[in-house]
Amino acid sequence: MIRPFFLRLSLPVLLISFLAACRTGYAPTQANYGNQRITRDLATDSALFFLIKPYGDSVDKSMSRVVGTVRNTLEKDQPEGTLGNFMADAYLTMGARQFQQPIDAAFVNYGGIRLNQLPAGPLTLGKIFELMPFDNVLVLQQLSGVELQSFLDLVAARGGWPVAGIRFTIKDKKAIDVYVKDKPLQPTAQYWILNSDFVASGGDNAEMLKVLPQRSTGYLARKALIDYVLFQSQQQGFVGAVLENRVRYAQ
Amino acid sequence: MLSRKNFLRQSALLAGGLLSAPLVGEALEGASAYRLVILHTNDTHSRLDPFPMDGSRNQGLGGVAKRAQIIKQIRAQEPYVLLLDAGDIFQGTPYFNFYKGEPEIKAMSYMGYDATTIGNHDFDAGMESLATQLRLHARFPMLVCNYKVDGTPLEGNVKPYQIFRRGPLKVGILGVGIEGKGLIPDQLFGSTVYLDPIAEANKVADTLRKKEHCDLVICLSHLGNRYTTERKVSDEDLAKQTEEIDLIIGGHTHTFLDKPLVYTNKKGRDVLVNQVGFGGILLGRIDFEFSKFSGQKILKTEKILISSKTVG
Repeated sequence: MIRPFFLRLSLPVLLISFLAACRTGYAPTQANYGNQRITRDLATDSALFFLIKPYGDSVDKSMSRVVGTVRNTLEKDQPEGTLGNFMADAYLTMGARQFQQPIDAAFVNYGGIRLNQLPAGPLTLGKIFELMPFDNVLVLQQLSGVELQSFLDLVAARGGWPVAGIRFTIKDKKAIDVYVKDKPLQPTAQYWILNSDFVASGGDNAEMLKVLPQRSTGYLARKALIDYVLFQSQQQGFVGAVLENRVRYAQ
Repeated sequence: MLSRKNFLRQSALLAGGLLSAPLVGEALEGASAYRLVILHTNDTHSRLDPFPMDGSRNQGLGGVAKRAQIIKQIRAQEPYVLLLDAGDIFQGTPYFNFYKGEPEIKAMSYMGYDATTIGNHDFDAGMESLATQLRLHARFPMLVCNYKVDGTPLEGNVKPYQIFRRGPLKVGILGVGIEGKGLIPDQLFGSTVYLDPIAEANKVADTLRKKEHCDLVICLSHLGNRYTTERKVSDEDLAKQTEEIDLIIGGHTHTFLDKPLVYTNKKGRDVLVNQVGFGGILLGRIDFEFSKFSGQKILKTEKILISSKTVG
């Protein structure tokens, strides 16, 4: 009785052992992590340094030009930050000049702010390029109060975007207590709203804007920033923006 | 007498018992152990120079010439190295506005990158421009398995995966890209078709493991680490819902991870996820220790021992 049982049991085992012997491989048993911080004191690969130097020199020739002075460091933040307010102010002020018509509000999509800070001190053209590297143009759209509310709800759900011309409160991912140029939002009124063509074309899931006609003069968002830096420098001698509770979270 | 069912069960138990023999003991058997060093970046965003010394948070950090030197040193010490990137090579400094990616790709080729995937901002100068830069200057593949690029300028310039050999080790690397809708303007994404990254990654990883018998399967991902409010597929989802991926090198969300995240996949095996912020501030490093196994034992290593290492 025992012998046949053993045979029957061991046959598949032998078979598996045989199959196993057919192939050997390697399997990870341990992983050691250790990210390396790239700091100033590290040595430089001079061959690569000189490979990119001609590109850098050419870029620097125009990009190192100082266009203004930042008085207080501007910070990117939600629901509101000084850097975002600076950009929204620039789009609203320069956009109104460019389109030669009143504009009710200008928005900046938060993800489109590509620097976390503009440090106090000289502001170079290169910094503006880093802040707004995209070749987006400013686009004007007419929205009903209902459509504007729908767009503001998207902005609220995304944690709040910089805006000039509107203030509102975010509660349960919706925009409430909305004031456009200090007047409560009217569902039936029409509003002229400025965005980058990225957002106006449905970027960041702004589907409600995608269907609306766009007015554009081909004015680059980055050009608006540069023009505003020159404008502010002329008006007040420095570049800046303040927090004004334009967008806040409900208590 | 044993019934056939019981007999099979008993055999399976016995086989299982044999196969789960102590792995560590075998790993110590001299020449059967190998180390593979994975170095990686993500979202370098045209940051060729270190961040300028202007008082901002990251001043003085990063820079390709310093990164290159570190990589050189590591390669001098370690025989088996893979240098990888998870996309968004482009856009962020005037270099890109001026040169559309030429110096970025040249620098990566110089550093000896083995592979990258495609980020949403790598579309920013258009697919034609990206294809040209890759064709002229890239000595590494751009890997993406969930974008159908037939008939676009990227056709023939990207591929789903590539297999790398490092000594006796066979490593399969694939790439996944993020959904273009709402993120990449239509005119830039063109007729590229986005496919479900989890389904596609599973298919490719399955091939790499079972047909190609890769010892390690790595996915370069530009999906993003994880999402709380948005309903987007993340590296977390990918890690949990795949079967044959060992390591995900992530990007897009600019997430700084102090150490790799560890998830359990559909087969109950460990999957590591790492991401190193943005701008080349960090060079990610994970050293995998490999042991030689036979047959089914290879599939039995469920847990990977993870620990920090002190890097010089």
